[in-house]
Amino acid sequence: MKACLIIITLAIVIGSWAAIGDKAPTPLPFVTPRGWPAPVYDFKHNPLTKEGFELGRKLFYDGRLSRDGNFSCAGCHQQFGAFATYDHPLSHGYNNTLTSRNAPALQNLAWQKELMWDGSIHSLDQQPLIPLTAPNEMAETTGNILRKLNADTGYKRLFRAAFGEGAISIARMNRALSQFMVMLVSSNSKYDRVMRGEDSFILPEQLGHAIFNSKCAGCHAAPFFTDFSYRNTGMPSDNSIPDMGRMKVTGRAGDSLKFRVPSLRNVAVSFPYGHDGRFFSLAEVFEHYRKKLVAGPQTDSLVRHTIALSNFEIGQLTAFLYTLTDTGFLKNPAFAPPGYEITPAFIHQH
Amino acid sequence: MVGNKTLQLGDTYQNTWGEPFTVRQLRYYIHRLSYTDDKGINYTTSEAYYLVDEADSSSKIIYLPAPAGALISIRFTLGVDSIDNTSGAQAGALDPVKGMFWTWNSGYIFAKLEGRSDSSHAPGHYMSYHVGGFKPSQNALREIKLAATPGSSTTSMTVIQADVLAWFHGAHRIAISQSPVCHEPGATALQLADNYSAMFTLAPAL
Repeated sequence: MKACLIIITLAIVIGSWAAIGDKAPTPLPFVTPRGWPAPVYDFKHNPLTKEGFELGRKLFYDGRLSRDGNFSCAGCHQQFGAFATYDHPLSHGYNNTLTSRNAPALQNLAWQKELMWDGSIHSLDQQPLIPLTAPNEMAETTGNILRKLNADTGYKRLFRAAFGEGAISIARMNRALSQFMVMLVSSNSKYDRVMRGEDSFILPEQLGHAIFNSKCAGCHAAPFFTDFSYRNTGMPSDNSIPDMGRMKVTGRAGDSLKFRVPSLRNVAVSFPYGHDGRFFSLAEVFEHYRKKLVAGPQTDSLVRHTIALSNFEIGQLTAFLYTLTDTGFLKNPAFAPPGYEITPAFIHQH
Repeated sequence: MVGNKTLQLGDTYQNTWGEPFTVRQLRYYIHRLSYTDDKGINYTTSEAYYLVDEADSSSKIIYLPAPAGALISIRFTLGVDSIDNTSGAQAGALDPVKGMFWTWNSGYIFAKLEGRSDSSHAPGHYMSYHVGGFKPSQNALREIKLAATPGSSTTSMTVIQADVLAWFHGAHRIAISQSPVCHEPGATALQLADNYSAMFTLAPAL
């Protein structure tokens, strides 16, 4: 009797293995651009697969992850704006709410150890829980999300294809979202082509590059155009947006009003600027650094005495910053919403 | 316009409820423009979309064939047709880089009024009205018909004025202190659409 039971159990195991055995997920290679450091994301813990990436993409664009169905991740992270919120100072959330911060661009996340403007999140796999559940963002509960995903047979199939047998879980959802997000690599701007010797700067770009290296690269270091540090750049706090930045994470007064140095890749399309989107144009940012910043005790030594910038230099710097726009990334059909992959003819595919 | 004053971006005005506000951005889509003259001839334009942007003076002038007779009426649709909301990435006036695109679910923003107000309790004291919605229960498309009164126009140039104050009153009371933000299709968007659909008037002849 006992032997009989074992045989039946074995048969079930073999049967279910055969059903998915020929559909093991297809590994997806992660390519580190030439000259870049090794990524910090733990790929061993979450191996990239084509199925995992595609599931992550579908989730990223699915408004059903929010309470009222209106707010997908992509609602505030728009591809044509380098996955920042195009033209909006503060992110918009459920029930006509505003958050207190500007949605950052999502690019080159595989190299970023800490997330959010204040570095409060240490793992990309954990990050989605914040916007998913914040009442002024997607305002949903993890229980409801699981219920909605489980009610969709399409999702059941996609989760199984990406992660094998087993229930749909928040951990698996987050891993799929991570697989999509780490693939958002922007490394093919004109700047990159020039550095690889495939293109050349026109004169204003070249002059702007030299000015940039002497006056901006101290914080906005290549190749990511950020050193991932937190700095106080003399932006006085807005009384309607209580936000002490990094100090809230570390509890140290010395971290008052410190925010992460943002990457300047795709800066031309990721306005407004600043952690609260207070600068609507590059001109306003330059004006801040050369004239308007208000130095406090914690203001960074590199900017506390303002940065000397002539109108001429601002012009050249602007020309250089525009070379950081990566059109292939902004229009890559692989990152577009499922069903909207239209490849514009001008994209050079590698 | 703001009441009888010409709108200047960044200047402070007062709405119908005595609330101060500044305007940073005012944009809206006009579509399916047509007009008739006193000979009964109806002129229709191509299916083009026009994005009127307060900050871009060239966007506020539309060149069309002059009618043979005197202008009697002008009609247009304010917003983006449902089919164009669901057709994926578009070019021209509907290019997402115009800042008038929400998501693939909610489609385009039809009209946008953004600024700041001390009466706003939203973070940053922002006042931010984004109106759109193309699904049956959320349809914010509005047909505008303007009738010419004697002496209100010439055949060579017709001036349509839009009064920002109309966003706050008319069919519905919109107070910045109560509703500083509208960022999704639904009840507030429909109220704003009702209000601003009455913002246009044909100006007297120059």
